[in-house]
Amino acid sequence: MADAAVTEHGHDRPGFFTRWFMSTNHKDIGILYLFTAGLVGLVSVIFTVYMRLELMEPGTQFMYDAYLGSPEAIEGIFNNLFSALQTAGGGVVHAEAELRALQDAILTAPLDENGVIEIGGGILGNGGLHGQVLDTFDAAMDSTANPAVFDALASAKGVLAGSPDGHMWNVMITGHGVLMMFFVVIPALFGGFGNYFMPLMIGAPDMAFPRLNNMSYWMYVAGTALAFCSVFVDGGAGPGWTFYPPISAIDAPTSRAVDFAIFAVHVSGASSILGSINIITTFLNMRAPGMTLHKVPLFAWSIFVTAWLLLLSLPVLAGAITMLLTDRNFGTSFFEVSGGGDPILFQHIFWFFGHPEVYIVILPAFGVISHVVSTFSKKPVFGYLPMVYAIVAIGGLGFVVWAHHMYTVGMTLTQQAYFMVATMVIAVPTGIKIFSWIATMWMGSIEFKTPMLFAIGFIFLFTAGGVTGIVLSQAGVDRAYHDTYFVVAHFHYVMSLGAVFGIFAGVYYWIGKMSGRQYPEWAGQVHFWLFFIGANVTFFPQHFLGRNGMPRRYPDYHEAFALWNYVSSIGALISFASFLFFIGIVFYTLRFGQRVHEPAYWGEHAETLEWILPNPPPEHTFETLPTREQWDRAPAHPTVEEWVEEAKEDC
Amino acid sequence: MPIALRHIEQATSDLMPRPGHGMPRAQITLTPYKSLTPTGFVWFIGITATLIVMPLLSVIGTSVFWGLLPFIIAAVWGVWASLKRSWRDMDLYEEVTIWDDLVRIERHDPKNRVRDWEANPYWVRLKLHEAGGPVPKYLTLSGAGREIELGAFLTPGERVELKSCLEAELHPA
Repeated sequence: MADAAVTEHGHDRPGFFTRWFMSTNHKDIGILYLFTAGLVGLVSVIFTVYMRLELMEPGTQFMYDAYLGSPEAIEGIFNNLFSALQTAGGGVVHAEAELRALQDAILTAPLDENGVIEIGGGILGNGGLHGQVLDTFDAAMDSTANPAVFDALASAKGVLAGSPDGHMWNVMITGHGVLMMFFVVIPALFGGFGNYFMPLMIGAPDMAFPRLNNMSYWMYVAGTALAFCSVFVDGGAGPGWTFYPPISAIDAPTSRAVDFAIFAVHVSGASSILGSINIITTFLNMRAPGMTLHKVPLFAWSIFVTAWLLLLSLPVLAGAITMLLTDRNFGTSFFEVSGGGDPILFQHIFWFFGHPEVYIVILPAFGVISHVVSTFSKKPVFGYLPMVYAIVAIGGLGFVVWAHHMYTVGMTLTQQAYFMVATMVIAVPTGIKIFSWIATMWMGSIEFKTPMLFAIGFIFLFTAGGVTGIVLSQAGVDRAYHDTYFVVAHFHYVMSLGAVFGIFAGVYYWIGKMSGRQYPEWAGQVHFWLFFIGANVTFFPQHFLGRNGMPRRYPDYHEAFALWNYVSSIGALISFASFLFFIGIVFYTLRFGQRVHEPAYWGEHAETLEWILPNPPPEHTFETLPTREQWDRAPAHPTVEEWVEEAKEDC
Repeated sequence: MPIALRHIEQATSDLMPRPGHGMPRAQITLTPYKSLTPTGFVWFIGITATLIVMPLLSVIGTSVFWGLLPFIIAAVWGVWASLKRSWRDMDLYEEVTIWDDLVRIERHDPKNRVRDWEANPYWVRLKLHEAGGPVPKYLTLSGAGREIELGAFLTPGERVELKSCLEAELHPA
């Protein structure tokens, strides 16, 4: 029999290394996830800024293979140009002074060790000799009305400006896609907020398997390192985040980088599976007494469904990319046509994972938004049970619609009709959620604090993205839109403006709880408006580009698309500025933010269990199970007194 | 139920008279709260297995089937084993058996041997510690030269109930 221990046992806080590197505390691990995801997010966003700079103007300003030529060869090009210009201009050489100056500038440049001159730029590839070539030739071409002169200039420019580096572009989109899908959004929402707040909301003292939790985090870090390798090793991996064979199966130009990308997804997948098993066990077996499944807070529900989706879909992805790996390295032919394999089958398996994956990305954001909307409307969330079953239904339907990503690979009409209808059905549970949020706000006393702004922004923009999703779900319409910027606009509206708005709403909602310090409200509002405007200016014009037929996945485009690409790039720069400002806000808050002492600092409608804890919560929480009156405030349930009476009858 | 009390009228297979003390009068079993029921386990594993088999059905008869199968099995096994493990971690219970002149408490822990304590109910003192215990409303029993804890894994409210319940059973009027 356990002897009594009635002494106040002091408990030392662990040192920095023990606390952050060997942590088994769900709250510390959650914070680690959030910071790591933020850092990876910054890298991934920098990739996009680079891509948007390239797309800002037609032609390739940044991503090109520089022209390499001996001084004699360059002299020859200029001599040919001048004689062509002389012929075309009837004896007059157009813009001769400028072109001579350019020639001198190039020929006086230093030779490299092979005795050739590189017409390159600065560190980003712009400016330098390359910039001079573009500026001089563009000015000369703009100032002539003679088509023969124009053609002569254009062909010389085509040689001296080097050739577009399509592989570089592919590496950037692959890096951006893989990092954002596997290493930023899931770790932030599921690993970060899920780890921190799901056990608190259900009143559990920690996760069911704390050491497994630590292992999940460090596997995620290892996966991130592999993903960075896939960008920087051996010229980088460029098959896109979907890894379609045969693009990914042919290894000649990409070499080991694709293997690194596959391993990165493997390791992060293993990490997510362990994490989701942990979360499922915690959610199912560690809820506080009396907290039945129909009383669990919506965020905890969304994390549970997300974990379940991960558990069901990631093994399929792991199997698919393992087979891809053996195809690439060990001569198997699962997806290799010459050996009897089927590359289309890979697409089916990939999207069987990939479509649930996009719901994995968005569902935790749904949970965050529900709490934020309820808190700042000062009303309980409208239609709790329909909200729960809508989450479950969205998760379930996510498994039966995968082929709408691949209408163009060749499917029977019946298959297409099925996937079309099934896809449109998802609008029903999603509509339940949207209308329930609106009904929660209806007649509420709404306070437009930063988390609420992000939540309203989420509802508005996610709906816009959902509507373009319904457009794309039509197999016939998709024939026109497939692989255009319309698709890019659609999925960034639901993910960049959906999931990411959810992350920001969560950060502003909970940062005071997690750190004990509150962010400056004005700064949060400035961040919101900058990001809202920037992201819309980035992605809304991409609908126009897509409708005009601009294809995805190219670093260059026809001049007819110039205007909206320019606008979109300006939007990307505004969004990037807002992200840097956000990083500033976070560090300012952690260091100088106002201390918040009130546990439920957003008012009495923030009523889940984390709001009865101090800011920040102590190292150990709910070692004794919380009682029902602490989490159950719904007036429809029996009163606390009734419940106590009920408990008395049991003994 | 975390606190289960039964009054004993006649011998049953698990409760026999004890030489020198006769039949026990009552028994209280304390178990920690587990929110996952056995039925819930079956539902969860059943739905998981059904859904996860779907991609397998679509590749049946191809070599890809064998590429996917190990991962699917590993996932189902993983969540199965984790839920079982979580149950096992909470698989402890305390049993209070009361005779007219003896009270015996056994603590069954999955990883340790059974720990027990016996005393004469007349001299046993129950105490609810408002502060100083490892948990709020820490319940201790002292008797036979030892002080032991009881129901530390229950909720504070349940320990209050347990105390009045035990008091009534140990010292009947």
